[in-house]
Amino acid sequence: MSAPEDTPVGGWRNPQLEHDPARAKVRPVLSAVGRRRWWFKLKGGGDRLWRRVRYPFTRRTVLRIRGEYNPKTLARERTVVDKRPIWWLIGLTLLAVLPPLSGNTSLLSAATIFAIYASINLVWMLIIGTAGIFSLATLAVVGASAYGAAWLSIQHGLPWWGMISTGAGLGLAFGVIVALPAIRLEGFYYALLTLGLVELCRVYVVQSKVFGSATGGLYGADTYVPEALQDSDGAVLLGYAAAFVMLLAMLGLYRLVNGQRLGRLLRTAREDEAFAEAVGIGYDRARVQVFLISSVALGAIGGFYASHFKGVSPSIFSTDQLLLMLAMIVIGGIGTAEGAVVGTLIVVLLDKLLIEWGPMRLVLIGLIMLGTVLFTRGGLFGIKSQFRAWRERRKSERRAARTEKGGEVVPEEATDIHDKQAIYYRRQDKLIRDYLRTLVTDELIEEHRRKPLGQHSEALERVLNYFRRGPVPDKYAVMAIKPFEAYRVVALAGRRGVPPRLVDDRVYPTLEEAYHAVFLRRVNDLLES
Amino acid sequence: MSRIKIFGYADRISARPGDPIEIMVSAEGTDAVQAQLVRLIHGDENPAGPGFVEREVAWLGNGWHAARKQYAQLGSFLRVPDPEGRLALPGSFTLHAFIHPGLPAAGRQTVMGRWCMETATGYGLGINAEGHAELWIGDGATVDYVAAEVPLFAHCWYFVAATYDASSRMATLYQEAVINRYNSLLGHVAPIDYGSHVSLRLRVQPRHGADIPFLIAGASDRNEARGRFVAQCYNGKIDRCGVHARVLSRAELDALRGGAEPPADAVVARWDTTRGYTDRGIGDLVEDTGPHGLHGRGFNRPVRAMTGWNWNGRDDNFRLAPEQYGGIEFHEDALIDCQWQPTLTAALPEDLRSGVYAVRLRAGEAGNAAEEHVVFFVRPRAPAGRICMLMPTSSYLAYANEHLSFDAPIAQVITAHSIIVAEPDIEMYKNREFGLSTYDLHADGAGVCYSSYRRPIVNMRPRHRMPATGLPWQFPADLSIVYWLEKMGYDYDVLTDEDLHRDGATALQPYRMVINGTHAEYYSERMLDATEDYLARGGRVLYLSGNGYYWVCAYRDEEPWVMEVRKLDSGSRAWQARPGEHYLATTGERSGLWRNRGRPPQKVVGTGFTSEGMDESRPYRRMPDSYHRSVAWIFEGVEGETIGDFGLALGGAAGVEIDRYDLSLGTPPHARILASSEGHSDNYPKVAEEIMYNFPGMGGTQDPQIRADMVYFTTPNHGAVFAPSSIAWGQALPCNDCDNNVSRVMKNVVEAFLKEGPLPGGAWIAEEKHWQ
Repeated sequence: MSAPEDTPVGGWRNPQLEHDPARAKVRPVLSAVGRRRWWFKLKGGGDRLWRRVRYPFTRRTVLRIRGEYNPKTLARERTVVDKRPIWWLIGLTLLAVLPPLSGNTSLLSAATIFAIYASINLVWMLIIGTAGIFSLATLAVVGASAYGAAWLSIQHGLPWWGMISTGAGLGLAFGVIVALPAIRLEGFYYALLTLGLVELCRVYVVQSKVFGSATGGLYGADTYVPEALQDSDGAVLLGYAAAFVMLLAMLGLYRLVNGQRLGRLLRTAREDEAFAEAVGIGYDRARVQVFLISSVALGAIGGFYASHFKGVSPSIFSTDQLLLMLAMIVIGGIGTAEGAVVGTLIVVLLDKLLIEWGPMRLVLIGLIMLGTVLFTRGGLFGIKSQFRAWRERRKSERRAARTEKGGEVVPEEATDIHDKQAIYYRRQDKLIRDYLRTLVTDELIEEHRRKPLGQHSEALERVLNYFRRGPVPDKYAVMAIKPFEAYRVVALAGRRGVPPRLVDDRVYPTLEEAYHAVFLRRVNDLLES
Repeated sequence: MSRIKIFGYADRISARPGDPIEIMVSAEGTDAVQAQLVRLIHGDENPAGPGFVEREVAWLGNGWHAARKQYAQLGSFLRVPDPEGRLALPGSFTLHAFIHPGLPAAGRQTVMGRWCMETATGYGLGINAEGHAELWIGDGATVDYVAAEVPLFAHCWYFVAATYDASSRMATLYQEAVINRYNSLLGHVAPIDYGSHVSLRLRVQPRHGADIPFLIAGASDRNEARGRFVAQCYNGKIDRCGVHARVLSRAELDALRGGAEPPADAVVARWDTTRGYTDRGIGDLVEDTGPHGLHGRGFNRPVRAMTGWNWNGRDDNFRLAPEQYGGIEFHEDALIDCQWQPTLTAALPEDLRSGVYAVRLRAGEAGNAAEEHVVFFVRPRAPAGRICMLMPTSSYLAYANEHLSFDAPIAQVITAHSIIVAEPDIEMYKNREFGLSTYDLHADGAGVCYSSYRRPIVNMRPRHRMPATGLPWQFPADLSIVYWLEKMGYDYDVLTDEDLHRDGATALQPYRMVINGTHAEYYSERMLDATEDYLARGGRVLYLSGNGYYWVCAYRDEEPWVMEVRKLDSGSRAWQARPGEHYLATTGERSGLWRNRGRPPQKVVGTGFTSEGMDESRPYRRMPDSYHRSVAWIFEGVEGETIGDFGLALGGAAGVEIDRYDLSLGTPPHARILASSEGHSDNYPKVAEEIMYNFPGMGGTQDPQIRADMVYFTTPNHGAVFAPSSIAWGQALPCNDCDNNVSRVMKNVVEAFLKEGPLPGGAWIAEEKHWQ
């Protein structure tokens, strides 16, 4: 009598029990997933009528809201897809209310300067962000218009409202001149050219008697502040109110140009310039249009500037001023209105509130600017999407490190899979593949070569059944080029209407050889995974 | 020059000599095709057999014909003729419908509307690309929308409505689910709030194009090449729906959702999808009970007799409760009739011998040539032969342009080998306009229940090999029997299922015997009755099918080119009808297996489906009963025990699909098993309808029911059935140019069946007194 352990029991091993996690090359970490929601979510409508309201003259509803079912609870939710209108409303309300309520005149004047700079930056953003023209001539346009308007007001008694409209006209004229080389010159050379232009303007007004080389500027222009209010706190308040209204107007302009036809067109064109030209989008034409519209706006701002300060000094053309404004734009992030406004706010606050720091505050501004350029791709307002992209990348990197291809699903992956049965299929597939790999031998392959169809050994039947049951996408099949003469191996698409693709250029003279070629490919895929 | 492609079909599948026949052709890469009438003799190119054989026949239609690319309208929908333009609504309106979307997030789909995609004019109620219910309105320049807050769940019943107030341009969308315990995919357990009510002031007033049709389940479009056609087709069911010429209030819509009739004032149209049902089936007309009688007409056979929004689960068929069966199911990929223009029309020769024919179409020359065979069958003007070769055209329809090989992951396990595709299959797969077979699923997963021959059918061609099996299947396989009849010099007539269905037993009566095709799987009630009556009156049948007389199918008398079948809870089925949708809209009969309606094939021909496998066929071995003198004549001249260890179908005469004798299923008690196959592989599993409890060991190597039985029995009035019961039998006949033992057995039977009166062996009826 033989001992029980000597009794032959055959080679059968249960693949489900074969799996030994300790032996796995990569051990998946099964950590807890799930996140509490801290933010308030709007509830869904259900039975109640949801009256949607649009902004006048547009298709846009007041807020872009997506109705959906929460996949965890099936509860109805409304998600505000674009929360920016809410932030704008809050931000602008604070801006409108806080400086006047502070009762601090110097803060109020700082706020006024902020509003003027923010207006200029918004328009500049249209030029750089929307039109993609790297022009540094912004302050040259503002300054030239301001000088022109101030001169006309002093010499010919032009009233303040005339100064704004004349400024706009001067801006247009100036814009036309500056726009011409923009089409011909590459970005960097164009930037240099416009920088030179600013310097030229400064040198000109510093030396020109007409423009007050003796007095250090032109003074005595008309102002929108009524006589009665002159030099009172009321004048400062009115100044702020006027500048704030201008800021709102420039925001409107930005929205109109960037958010409507021109802006959409330019964004489309930037994706693929050649394609845009082919379908008839006039890329250069649209860029120049935006540039000219912006120049008119800058001119108007210049006119307002001269009327606000009752004149203008050559410092408006100074390079340090220009660079400070560039810092505002860069910090905020190019291409967004909120970037222009918040960037300006930060720099103006630092510049005006830390005045006792002296030149060190400029170093601080420089450092912030350096930091934004070095560490962000789209300034302050690009941080969110940058962070998300980084998180996404990190997620896939970590997943790749902790899981194996075709291996079991880890908890954080499971949250992305809608049909939960698919998670089990992955598990089962892994178990079976691990087991089948142990069955593949040279004898098994030879058995298939000799007789691809019909009854086979237990091991080969198991391997074949697994292959045959596989999902259709990329499943191998045979293509008859000429029946009984020439066959090739193809892979099925798994999508209706999409033909199979050839996997190589080998031609097999018999169907049996083609079957075996398919088998060898499948075995190869099995062993490689 | 581009690759030449030719595809065609004939307006009829069965013709008599002298009948006019229309051949519809779509050609690419050439502007003319050369037609030649041919008689088809053999279709399998397997070098072990006689190869492809055709004979050219003189005909008026032979020669070159101008051809061009032709298009087909895909998708089922209802067209509402409205000559007075009452649906070009001038003012305020309400659209309402019960819907059961099948594929809500599959691009824009129109539930109903008078919408022109080309000009963006009119109005439409439907589902937008994100799967939300939506009303859209266009004035030619601008299109404006109001959409529901949340997406629709697939396979759940909803009531959706949209109102539009012309004076304020205020549009309101109304969406509520109408789910009960039975009618939808989800029940009350899933915590879902389905409802949504959204209003929005639109920026446009609808402008109405002059001849834009009002459509249900589609929208109108137009382009230069095709002219006006229908697109944005809807997937899913639509139940009672209507149009009102005023804004219905929320309360009025709530009442409609509860099943009330709409308020009588200002009704423009009210389609009662349950009207016009009869005990014998449902047509394509959808009646409008409103004042203008704007009846809708189905195109590409919208599927009727489907459960409606108010189905209560107790009445499980439209004949019991038509009011619960208002669902009409639509599919964007349905196709019944390509409606191509005829490329050639000519009368068939008056003296044409009955047989299998095709118009062979050719174009191009070596390197870029194309060939197509448009197949049809010619029955005799008056019965001439004594043998009737019955071509199982119903089953050809069932498999017409099957996509199973490409789409079904299980195809390769069922057939036990890799699929083998060829150029025509890929061409068919690429071209949605060739339609689907009853083995395929529509885009939303619903099974295809209609198939027709008014479209090119790439697998009803000589030389075709089914990708999943790598074998000639159905028509090309049946040509092996035709070849045998030709070779043996029998004079035979060819009839089709269509003739049998139309004329019943009188079609068969003139013949001494009827030979079935290799796979006569789909049978209408009239076809089965005719076969049974023929046998009972002394007819003789050679049942050469495997898996024959299996599915219940049906035809409308006036549209014999369309077959309907519903696959129910049993049988080898590519899909399964939803609960409550088991009855044929065509006739009101229960579909599914004949076996489950009390008529297993065993009852008619002695054997019925038991297993299938496509890896290997096996020979038969004689059973002891075959030595009884009453039947031993069948084996005269046959040496040895083994019959059919060869064949064009996987090397044996017993295989592919095989049938079995079973007294418990109605095999006549005196039937004898003459021979049975053995040694089938485990890739021959037992069929589903035989399995009560599933247990291991139901494959060919272990289960004694996995076998093909060669059965013989007599019927009243000197009738008889010979049933080798295997698809591979017919394809073993032509081996060694018909000089083989399968052919010998067939010849013995046919020679005996040709003689009138008593059959051989009839004398050996006494009780045996054995000494040995």
